[in-house]
Amino acid sequence: MSNPLITLDHLAIGYDGQAVLSGISLTIACGSFTAILGANGTGKSTLLKTLLGLQPPVTGVVRFGAEGVKPVFGYVPQALQFDPLYPLTGFDVALMGTFGRVGPARFPSRAERDFVRECLHATAADEFADQTFSQLSGGQKQRILIARALATRPDLLVLDEPTAGVDVAATHSLLEFISQIHVERKLTVLLVTHDLPLVRKHAQQIVWLHNGTVQSGTVAELFTPEKMSEMFDLEVG
Amino acid sequence: METLKEIFSSGFLLRNSVYTSVLVGFACPLVGVFLVLRRLVFLGVALPQISSTGVAVALSLPVWLGLTVNSAEEHAHTLAFAGSTGFTLAAILVLALLERRGRGSAEGRLGTAYVVATALSILLLSKNRVAEAGWLDLLKGEIITISNFDLALTAGALAGVLVMLGLFSKELLLVSFDRTMAATLGKNVLLWDAVLYLLIGLTVSVAVLSVGPLIAFGFLLIPVLTAHLFARNLKGFVILASLLGGVSSFLGFWLAYQWDWPVGPTDVVLIGAVYTLAFAGKKIIGR
Repeated sequence: MSNPLITLDHLAIGYDGQAVLSGISLTIACGSFTAILGANGTGKSTLLKTLLGLQPPVTGVVRFGAEGVKPVFGYVPQALQFDPLYPLTGFDVALMGTFGRVGPARFPSRAERDFVRECLHATAADEFADQTFSQLSGGQKQRILIARALATRPDLLVLDEPTAGVDVAATHSLLEFISQIHVERKLTVLLVTHDLPLVRKHAQQIVWLHNGTVQSGTVAELFTPEKMSEMFDLEVG
Repeated sequence: METLKEIFSSGFLLRNSVYTSVLVGFACPLVGVFLVLRRLVFLGVALPQISSTGVAVALSLPVWLGLTVNSAEEHAHTLAFAGSTGFTLAAILVLALLERRGRGSAEGRLGTAYVVATALSILLLSKNRVAEAGWLDLLKGEIITISNFDLALTAGALAGVLVMLGLFSKELLLVSFDRTMAATLGKNVLLWDAVLYLLIGLTVSVAVLSVGPLIAFGFLLIPVLTAHLFARNLKGFVILASLLGGVSSFLGFWLAYQWDWPVGPTDVVLIGAVYTLAFAGKKIIGR
């Protein structure tokens, strides 16, 4: 396996000391495309927050890289979550990706702003980047948010249900694009979703959360008729 | 026009009142932008009232301590400033802690804080006629007697708020717009929330002390809502809101002086009328 970017070692995750999922041990390797799959309420968001270091694990350890340096996360949330009251353009939103490098009382330089324009171009969002963000379509917003994540110069691109509220054509186009930048830039991708066909097509490694259990493996290992039948039997039961 | 010439003349007696009113008009919308965008408008109602309760406590303090009237008057402004700021910041701290625990209704807490603060002010001052008169002037927005010291204090505090807002605008925007993103970028979300609340608290307490809770709330909210109707980007939104506040406060003062009306209510009715016209105009043009 290539270099580990994040390693979860016998992790239990949850809130207020109460574990909702336990026994999680897995590694996200540099350059991999990992999907966290599971229905609503299975603990996907809790696992993601723990991975991002936003929430401490109940027990166990999250290790970053070989030297313990926390990677830069390029976080792509659901486009639906943003309050439409904010009069921000797509460029304003994408520019936020540089704020991690630009300290307090400083402002993004010309070079940083040019880099954001490049990210918007890479995600084919430059045409509508000067329009008001809240008035864009779901797919357009997601392209802006991916450009924002790329503007962080990420070690890991984290997509939290990026296709929620996005139509089928735009979903297909978005995931094709993410797969493309994963290959071209050798970018590590972590995708959180409940969309099984998307995972099957694009991900290499899968972390499947179901009824308080966690199964992980490659697409070939988990998407066998036996495993699928086991998972769906569990769902029916 | 004669009135306008008089206001601009060097010997105008109420010069400090004009300056203070305009300063508050420019500054309040700058923090009001965050109250509106973070949907904390109720906080904008409750804080000025809590701040004025702080003033009521401060004005009552000399009586409780048995100080003479002269001595009390000498220190009245300092006491009122301490009371206003102390109560506002304490209220923000308590409300933020309750918000963080995430239990109960935030609107309910703010509504309760508002009504209890108002009732408490009236109770405190009911046995203190001198303080009651001062507090009622404040409540009505009678901006008449503003000393050079008061003006300097207001200008200094509001300039400080302006500088802080300018320097930390990107952090304050990021934690307001996308807290998770801010956290993944290593920003201390709680710290920046505290900075924002501190700036809101300081602006509100200075504004309440200078022009009263009515105008403070009016300028925190109405110019911001008016500017939001036309905002296409954040910078334009903030600048337009601040300009509307500053210009309306000057025009309100002019009208009030011309017709011998109380300044505070005149200012608020004027910016309310501007908002109504802008809203109607936008609807008609948008058809």
